[in-house]
Amino acid sequence: MKAPTRVAVVHAFFVLFALALVARAAKVQVVEGNQWVARGKRQHFFASALSAPRGEILDASGNTLVESREMTRVALALPEVRDTAFILRALQRARLDASAVHAAIARRRRWIDLPGLYTASDVASISKLNGVHLTPVLQRVYGNSGGIKRIVGSLDGRGNALDGLELALDSLLRGDSGRVRLARDNNGRPLESPDGWTDEPRPGSTVVLTINNTLQDICERELSIAVDSLKAEGGDIVVMNPHTGEILALASNRVGRTTFGNTAVTEPFEPGSTLKPFIAASLLEHQRARPTDVVSTHNGKLELDGRVITDMHKASALSLADVIRFSSNIGIVQFGQRLTPREKYETFRDLGFGMPLGVPLPAEAAGTLHEPRQWSRQTSASILMGYEIAVTPLQLVTAYSAIANGGELLEPHLVKEVRALNGDVTYRAQTRAVRRVMSGEVARTIQQMLLAVVQQGTATRADLATFEVAGKSGTARRTSTNAGYTAGNYTASFVGLFPGNDPQYVVLVKLDNPKGAHYAGGEIAAPVTQIVLRAALAARDAALDREGLAASERSTIAQAPDHAPAKSAAAAGARFVRARGDATDPVDRASYDPSDNLRPPSPDEGTASYLVDLPASPRPGVVAPIALTPRAIPDVRGMSIREAVRALHSAGFRVRIVTASSSGTLPAAGAMAAPGSLVQLTRPLE
Amino acid sequence: MAKRGVGMRGRTLVAVVLGAFVLVALSIVWRRTVGIGESDRLAQLEAKRAGLEGERVRLESEIRDASTRQTLGATVERKLGMHIPTDKQVVILPRTSR
Repeated sequence: MKAPTRVAVVHAFFVLFALALVARAAKVQVVEGNQWVARGKRQHFFASALSAPRGEILDASGNTLVESREMTRVALALPEVRDTAFILRALQRARLDASAVHAAIARRRRWIDLPGLYTASDVASISKLNGVHLTPVLQRVYGNSGGIKRIVGSLDGRGNALDGLELALDSLLRGDSGRVRLARDNNGRPLESPDGWTDEPRPGSTVVLTINNTLQDICERELSIAVDSLKAEGGDIVVMNPHTGEILALASNRVGRTTFGNTAVTEPFEPGSTLKPFIAASLLEHQRARPTDVVSTHNGKLELDGRVITDMHKASALSLADVIRFSSNIGIVQFGQRLTPREKYETFRDLGFGMPLGVPLPAEAAGTLHEPRQWSRQTSASILMGYEIAVTPLQLVTAYSAIANGGELLEPHLVKEVRALNGDVTYRAQTRAVRRVMSGEVARTIQQMLLAVVQQGTATRADLATFEVAGKSGTARRTSTNAGYTAGNYTASFVGLFPGNDPQYVVLVKLDNPKGAHYAGGEIAAPVTQIVLRAALAARDAALDREGLAASERSTIAQAPDHAPAKSAAAAGARFVRARGDATDPVDRASYDPSDNLRPPSPDEGTASYLVDLPASPRPGVVAPIALTPRAIPDVRGMSIREAVRALHSAGFRVRIVTASSSGTLPAAGAMAAPGSLVQLTRPLE
Repeated sequence: MAKRGVGMRGRTLVAVVLGAFVLVALSIVWRRTVGIGESDRLAQLEAKRAGLEGERVRLESEIRDASTRQTLGATVERKLGMHIPTDKQVVILPRTSR
């Protein structure tokens, strides 16, 4: 046998080597193929979570209150950084906070999250640097004022809901996050790849609130001015549509302390005299009294169960209507004795006091309403005067809405609609009556009593010239920690129904612990209500039905020129304590007649004397003063109503349209009248 | 001679196959390079879009904040002498049916 040549050996060696390679390749490709493919994919691809855009929150008119925007969180992986000094310089050039990096380097940390969130343009210059990791984060942008934030709540830095509607409606707003598979480049950076996939996130739903942004803005501004000028500890304003239960505005203000949530919902207070109308309603409902029934009010001082009850308005006797009108503590206690403790308790319980209303705001307070078996000897009288019971401002407004809408306690709601991404409405709030708390007739009688409170009672400063306002003021003493009721501490409140004869708003203004000579609800909370109503009337969109308002206008026409001294805006605070022409307590006690409490107001009473008219605070060189010399009323015969109104407005007159048998103006065309005077434009009957 | 010609055709074929392989490989590398570049540019544009969108949201929010009564009210009262009109100064025109 011939020995193999050297060439043959070499060939054999290469053949064996080639076979070994083929075998190994076969093993890797065929036997272990799937395993290696998976390993390769793990190295080259990764799945990343895609956060879903959080739903918007809109006001009732569709204005955006809260929306989201994409921001970037910056992190540094120090082991990946080749030149730390270079990175630090780059961060400083990009105006990023590099102080955390210095601290982390000193502590030898490997991963550093830079504080704060940045826009993509802020971090564009550092996005390609080794060791810099950028993560997109959705940030919530809360427009408007802090007041809206107290309603909608907030998120933490990681996007988790903390409070407010954000927390209560988190499951709706949050949406469903998605996932995306991306390739990695040689530096480990994400890279879109045809081999990747995306599981698109589902954005959160849009929530439409019942809040009217304009009205909310008005309430917050007026509340802020009132709290500042009165040096109060805080205050709340709540406005509700009494026919639907929609909360139109929910403003709260606290000075010098942080509050969580909206205090109009979370902080109960002793309402004082604002509860008296409900006792009157209960008396009428149980047929224990009539509005004209009279009780002795002991000239303003009564000793009962070891304590002295006093009245601001000292009278020997008052009817039930006048007890409400003058807010007589003695009177309501005397009348209240006609109700059993159980009936008093059930009156308040049926109005929703002592239990949460169920609005979607976390930490809603239930208030305090004890059962009669827990009452002390004095509770039976105290509760009639609005003490030993605590209600939230929202509960009080909801209860007054029952008076305004004819006797039905409605479920208040804050969310009007929830809309899916495609615009489909997935939820729409319905007006829901919880129960009937008084008959329609009783509600109307109580409304008449409340009209008298504003026209001739304790809250005349809430009155408007062209619309009737009904309401009730309240002044309750406040407790201090470990000191009980202390002198000089009061809660001043006023609940108004506007317009008084067909309410579209129920407005509560509450001021906590105002400092100064004036602290009564009728003196300081009622004027705030008046200003809120005036501003709402002048606003373009404040959830008012103008057609309904036109029908509710007082029929009286002011004959006197309306040129009260111009009000200085700088003295805005003074308007809350400025005395009106008539006194706060206008009744002559000597000539008291129980039957005059419900007489219609005279035209003079219907027109207020505290008007601010054009020009207000004219500043030379800034606003040209309007000439106040009389001018001729233009002839509008032959014009359409619209053209006539325009012509009269252009001439500087205000216009009231009335329907009569003949057409024309009063005063007649050509007559001289001061600019700003009211001209009656008569429209012929059709 | 014929044998030599067959050999030439075989080598040419191998060269052509190898050349084609190189071209295909180059095109794949080129395509991937372009793809990565485009992807990078796309990511940059997406980040820019998100940044601009975020800026839009911020500016709109600032406009809303600046237009509130809280911000504007004091200024317009002080500088322009404007005020909240009384209810008597507000004229509500009833809708007429034609």
